[in-house]
Amino acid sequence: MSFQANSSRHDMAAPGFGQSYDPFADLSRSADDIDEALDFEDTYDGLGDTLDETDDAFNDDTFGGDTGGVSHAPVGKDFDFFGQTAKVANAIEEEHQRFSRQQPAPKSTQPSSSQTYNSGYAYQPAPKPARTGYEKYKSEPVSDLQVDASIWGVQPKKATPVAPAQPQPAAPAAPPAGRKMMSLEEVEAAMRAQAKAPAQPQQPQPQLQAPSQPGPEPQAAFPHAHYSHQEPINYQQQQFDNRQPRGFYAPDNQQLPQGAAHGHPIAILQRPSTKSIPSNGPSVPSSLPQQHQPAPMGFPTQILQNPNRMPGEPNRMNLPTHPTHRSQNSFTRQPQAGANQAHLSHLSEQEKASFLEAEARRAKRNHKIHVLSKDNGLMTPQDKSFITRIQLQQLVSATGDPSEHGTDAALAEDFYYQVLSSLRAGQRPNPNQPLNNFAQTYLFQTGTRHGGMRRQGRGPENHMQRMEQQVQRAVEAAKNKPKNKQLVIEGSLGKISFSNAKTPKPLLNIKRTESSTETTRPGSGHRSHPTTGTDKKETLQNIEKVYLTLMKMEDLDRNMPPPPPNGGPDPDFERRAELQQQLQQLNEQLWNELKVHEPIGATSVHPFIAFLSYPKGKKAIGRVFNHLTLEQQTTILTIIVIHLDQLDVVRGAQVQTGEPINLNAATRESIELFIVAVMPSLLHLLSKSELHIVTGVLGLITQNLNVDLVARTRIGVSMLTMILSRAELAKQAGQATEQSWQQWVATFNQFFNALEPTLPNIFPGTVASGEDIYVWQFLAAIGIGASPEEQQRLVLAVKDRVMDTVSLSKTLPPDMAKTRLDNVNLFMRSIGLDVELLNN
Amino acid sequence: MLFFSFFKTLIDHEVTVELKNDIQIRGTLKSVDQYLNIKLDDIQVVEEIKYPHLSSVKNVFIRGSVVRYVHLPAAAVDVPLLEDATRREAAQQAGKGK
Repeated sequence: MSFQANSSRHDMAAPGFGQSYDPFADLSRSADDIDEALDFEDTYDGLGDTLDETDDAFNDDTFGGDTGGVSHAPVGKDFDFFGQTAKVANAIEEEHQRFSRQQPAPKSTQPSSSQTYNSGYAYQPAPKPARTGYEKYKSEPVSDLQVDASIWGVQPKKATPVAPAQPQPAAPAAPPAGRKMMSLEEVEAAMRAQAKAPAQPQQPQPQLQAPSQPGPEPQAAFPHAHYSHQEPINYQQQQFDNRQPRGFYAPDNQQLPQGAAHGHPIAILQRPSTKSIPSNGPSVPSSLPQQHQPAPMGFPTQILQNPNRMPGEPNRMNLPTHPTHRSQNSFTRQPQAGANQAHLSHLSEQEKASFLEAEARRAKRNHKIHVLSKDNGLMTPQDKSFITRIQLQQLVSATGDPSEHGTDAALAEDFYYQVLSSLRAGQRPNPNQPLNNFAQTYLFQTGTRHGGMRRQGRGPENHMQRMEQQVQRAVEAAKNKPKNKQLVIEGSLGKISFSNAKTPKPLLNIKRTESSTETTRPGSGHRSHPTTGTDKKETLQNIEKVYLTLMKMEDLDRNMPPPPPNGGPDPDFERRAELQQQLQQLNEQLWNELKVHEPIGATSVHPFIAFLSYPKGKKAIGRVFNHLTLEQQTTILTIIVIHLDQLDVVRGAQVQTGEPINLNAATRESIELFIVAVMPSLLHLLSKSELHIVTGVLGLITQNLNVDLVARTRIGVSMLTMILSRAELAKQAGQATEQSWQQWVATFNQFFNALEPTLPNIFPGTVASGEDIYVWQFLAAIGIGASPEEQQRLVLAVKDRVMDTVSLSKTLPPDMAKTRLDNVNLFMRSIGLDVELLNN
Repeated sequence: MLFFSFFKTLIDHEVTVELKNDIQIRGTLKSVDQYLNIKLDDIQVVEEIKYPHLSSVKNVFIRGSVVRYVHLPAAAVDVPLLEDATRREAAQQAGKGK
């Protein structure tokens, strides 16, 4: 029918039509562009001539001419179906929805047709001519794209029923059209009711429809979504303007009785409405007419509705959380506005202005919301969570498991950063135990992490929770997923290696077999001392083993649950015991790796001394001592003392008084390191040791070692100073028994006798070199413990150096002179003298 | 991850990044990622006369692959800890390799 009408027009009366709208002619032209005129003539069947083109009898059916003159203008001049359709797409959709909803519910025809006709007029004319074209464009892609129609509500369903419905009932157009018009009234009513009682008015229709259409739930959900966001604002306002005189009052008069008939359910349903707009006089009764529909099944409706709305995506509707928010606003406000506009005349100019301003602001906001929400509902929740999962998994694989932060896994991956930032964040209680305040750091870190996420997602809290749950789930999924590092596609020649930041793509894939380890290095077969056990590589490997064990022990220490509050029961008793046991095993392992118990003299250099000769071996001592028992520590001290002359820092590090210090840089460095890394541990140990141990150590030195060699090195002197001063401190603190003190004095005398010839030679460099402070300290330590007779011998031995220093200090600037004299005074005062005496 | 971990600790420290095209850029390290891409703030090119086109650049993002050296502030590096971290990394790699 419609095609006939088109072709008749195309041909003759209105040439404008033929030019502006003849897509088929265009097609044929472009396909066959040699001579179009001939082509047209050939293909023209002359049917047009037989048509009665003067009769416009069916134009109305085709072009929706039932609306009168207005419809002709757009149809006649611009025959762009799709463009037209696009302009009014929203209205069409609404029409469709309304139509399909209404068919089984003809109740809504009650308001007079003339009223609805007027109200619908504003947007009615355009959709009809455009409809056929619209269906073609719209329905096809939709059905193509939608695999699962149910997730989209009833959109495809809605489109198909309407397509036949529109052209065919066109002949008996008037009555259905009238019905449709009626329903517009209902649309308005629905909107009004939504404003007042967001849940109520539209329920009956979905419910009534339920038997006739499958999937009542999505359908019921859809109208709300549809109304709430797809109508253009201007349409709403237009509608409102039309409605104002009628929408509020006319239905009022007409339908109030009906509403009253269903008094009880109304009362229930209406409660929210009266609450939400208490001031709006007219609108309250106007909600009654709609109530007459839900009323008969008011209670079931409500039940039905809540399940619909609750799962309905908040994004789309915002009903459950914010009934008067976003898209809803357009409906809540309009009736209010209408009522207010009715009262505008009563307001002052200022109030009017402010009201209008507020109105404008609201309209602007609504428009913005509308624009923002035009794509709402495009993705189902499933789609969204799917995308989210993908993103999260990528995140996890790229940056690591967020839930792992603060755990051992994170520590393994990010050790340096985690520890260092913990060190910087908190104070360092003990330089030798840097790993103890981790927990604090981790809290700090996860805290910032969370903060960052919170700042980004400003959404409600439950959204964050959902997000976190999703992260957890994604992480678990990623964990459970078998990790294939390579993919071999069937039939392909190569492999595809995956990589991420944590596990870079391996460029070389060398599998070293056991045999190859031996064959790959024939050159290293000639070891210098394969049997001594002190060969460099082996020693270095030993050191590394010690470090690995140390780190394991430190990890255990860190994981050790905090001790229970004093006296209380220990909830972590089992765990603590278990860790202690592991620590004990590691301690044994460490002790074996240190090789302290290797027989002395079995090898040219004792393994432990070899261990100490490397800088990292020295550095390990401090940490090793933290994990050794006092007995083990004492054993180490003994080993060091016995081999004192073999230490790299003693052997070849002797100085000669008066000669320039000619130590090479490496030795100097290693002496410094020994002082920094090893001596404090030994000092700490000695300070805890009994006097008889100190005595024993000094005896070892005196009897087993070349005192001259030892005393002429800085480390040797420092060690001796340490021993002597500890004995003196023990005596002063009253820790020494008479017997042990006697032993000490005897040993000391032996030592002094051995040392005395060396005394003049223990000063490093010349007087001017000024590196002799540790010697003065040593002399002071001797002087304190020495008998008066020994003190005299001591003074005699070092007298020259004292005098030289004093005379040198006179030529030096005052501050330097003072430093030198203070050094000397360390010694002088220990024997009851002072350099001041010498100056006179 | 050791280098990433390490450079993260240098954030907000001043470093000098030497690129493979010999340009040296000194600036405050603002960010680093697992590819060792580097973001520097308040930058200054070491030989400014040679590269005048960079004299007005205030901050840069440097792709990790074009970096030759990063000159570190020695005070900001905890050497023993770094040694331990290296041991851990090595142990981990050895564990993975097996």
